Amino acid sequence: MESGDMKEIILMFHVLFGVGCIITAVWLFVDVLHASEAHLGRIRKLSVVLAMFMWLAFLIGGYWYVRLYPADKAIILKGPWPFAHNFFMETKEHLVIMLLLLASFLPIAAANNLAANPAARRLVLWTTAGIALLGLMVEGHGAIIAMGVKVALLAGQH
Amino acid sequence: MDDTTLSKYTISFGLSLALCSVLNALLVVLKETSRTVVAELQKTTGHQWVTHVAIVLVLFALLGWLFSLANHGQGLKLPAGRLTGIVVAGVVAGGLIITAFYLFAG
Repeated sequence: MESGDMKEIILMFHVLFGVGCIITAVWLFVDVLHASEAHLGRIRKLSVVLAMFMWLAFLIGGYWYVRLYPADKAIILKGPWPFAHNFFMETKEHLVIMLLLLASFLPIAAANNLAANPAARRLVLWTTAGIALLGLMVEGHGAIIAMGVKVALLAGQH
Repeated sequence: MDDTTLSKYTISFGLSLALCSVLNALLVVLKETSRTVVAELQKTTGHQWVTHVAIVLVLFALLGWLFSLANHGQGLKLPAGRLTGIVVAGVVAGGLIITAFYLFAG
């Protein structure tokens, strides 16, 4: 393995924890739909796991964005898909901040008695749905950014 | 009988989340339209995005904590059903401002 591969490995961990966050959000959504006293412990633990996944994805992605992305950005902007940076990366880097806030808020909301409190249950359902949808959206943005690099490199070969 | 009350931290940090989502979006508009602002953000931590994130996270923690101190430490009062609407409205508004800005003005 070459040292240059670390860039891709870091990026893969960013995506891995992001996907973990989305899967946990969907799992939690279903669990909260059927919330009972017996499930409350698992729901609370899962909400903390989700927040940890999100923070890991964010910190790794943040490191990659600040330290390693400028090279990719230069390639994208010279290629046929400059919107991969100008729209998709620019929106992604700011939408993920809201995703981080939602994930950080989730364990606080999940600490209520979801089995006996329909308002708290509704709040957690909306929060997990927001995390899953926003998470899928930024994963899609990430795919388009990666594609922006690929089409630029391919265009440069011809 | 159903419990319909939310903990003071749920209300406080839920309101803070909604508010910070909108503030995050407004900071995007501000820094993208003002070179002075982006230069200040850049100068503070060495990267404008890192400072942007730090501001939003500190505000989220600070506002959540301050809201929980209101009413002599009992926290802000809000009908339980309204908080969900406020959180959803804040996140949707923040997302729309950011997307619309880069789509039409970015």
